[in-house]
Amino acid sequence: MTEEITSKSKLAVRRYEDRPVGCPPDSDPVAMTKEEKEALLNTVGRLKELVEKSAKGDKKPLPEIRKILKESPELAWQLMDFARYTEYHHTKMMVKEEGSGLKEVLKAQLAAMREEIAGDNPSPLERLLAERIVITWLQIQLFEGLYASNMSKGATTNAQGKYEQKRIDQAYKRHLSAIRTLAQIRKLGPAVQINIAEKQINTMGEGIPSS
Amino acid sequence: MAWERRKRGGAYYTRSRKVDGQVVREYVGGGVRGEIAARMDAKERQRREEEAAAWREEREHLEELAGLVDELCEAVETVARATLLAAGFRQHKRGEWRRRRDRGNNI
Repeated sequence: MTEEITSKSKLAVRRYEDRPVGCPPDSDPVAMTKEEKEALLNTVGRLKELVEKSAKGDKKPLPEIRKILKESPELAWQLMDFARYTEYHHTKMMVKEEGSGLKEVLKAQLAAMREEIAGDNPSPLERLLAERIVITWLQIQLFEGLYASNMSKGATTNAQGKYEQKRIDQAYKRHLSAIRTLAQIRKLGPAVQINIAEKQINTMGEGIPSS
Repeated sequence: MAWERRKRGGAYYTRSRKVDGQVVREYVGGGVRGEIAARMDAKERQRREEEAAAWREEREHLEELAGLVDELCEAVETVARATLLAAGFRQHKRGEWRRRRDRGNNI
C-alpha cells in the first residue's frame, strides 16, 4: 500500500479531462443501449446485495465484492456514461429550442463544475461521485425552474405545487447525499482511491488515447 | 353544465360550480344567452383538459428523469460503498467509515 501511495504521489498533476486515459474509447453515453444499461444495473444489483450483506457484519461477501470490482474496471466508466445519458435527457428537457446555443452553454457549465468538483488527478471513483453531484444539481435546477415557471404563469394548482415542492425536496436530499459521499471518500484519503486508481494507471500503458 | 328542458318548453342553460365547498347551481338562461355561455364553458373545459393532459405528460417525463437519477445515485453509492469495503473499511453504525482492525486480509 505504501508503494502504491508513493507511486501515486509521484504522478504529475493532471488536470481533469472529460474523456481521460482509461476511459473506453468508443463509449458514447447517448448511444447506450437498453441491454447495456440492463447489464450494468445487473452488476450493480449484485454488488448491492453483497454490500448490504457486508453492512450487517457478514465478511463472506468481501472476496466477491473485490472480485467484481477487479473484474469490472469499466464499471465506473459505464456509470459515468449512464450519468451523461441522464444529463443529456435533463438538458433536452431544460433547453427545448434547438440551435440557440443554450444547450452548449449549459454543457460547458456542467463540464466546468465536474472539473472543479473532481479536482486534479481524480480517481475514477472521485469522477463518478463528481458526476453524481453535478447531475443532482442539474435536477434541482430543472425542478426549481419548472416550479418558478409554472408559478409565474399562475398555472399551478395546489396538487401541482405540492408535487413540485416534493420533487425539489427529494432532489436536494439526493444532492446533499452525493456531496456527503465524496467528502467521506476524500476524508479517508488515498487508501480508498488507490484501489480503483490502480486500474486507471494500468490502462495508461495500453495506449488508449485520451479524447 | 347542462341544458335543461323546462315544462313551458325551451331549453335553459345552467352551470354548477363549487363555492366554499358547496355546489352552487347558476341559472344562465336560454336562447342566444344560453348558447354563448355553453360555448364559452365548452372552450374553458377544453382548455382545462388540454392543460391537465400537458401536466400529466410533463409529470410522466419528470418521473422518468427522476427514475434515471435515482438509479444512478443508487448505483454510484453502491460502488462507493463496495470500494470502501474492499479497501478494508467498515461503516460504524450507519455513519462514519472506519478501517477494519483485521483490514479484511484474513478473509
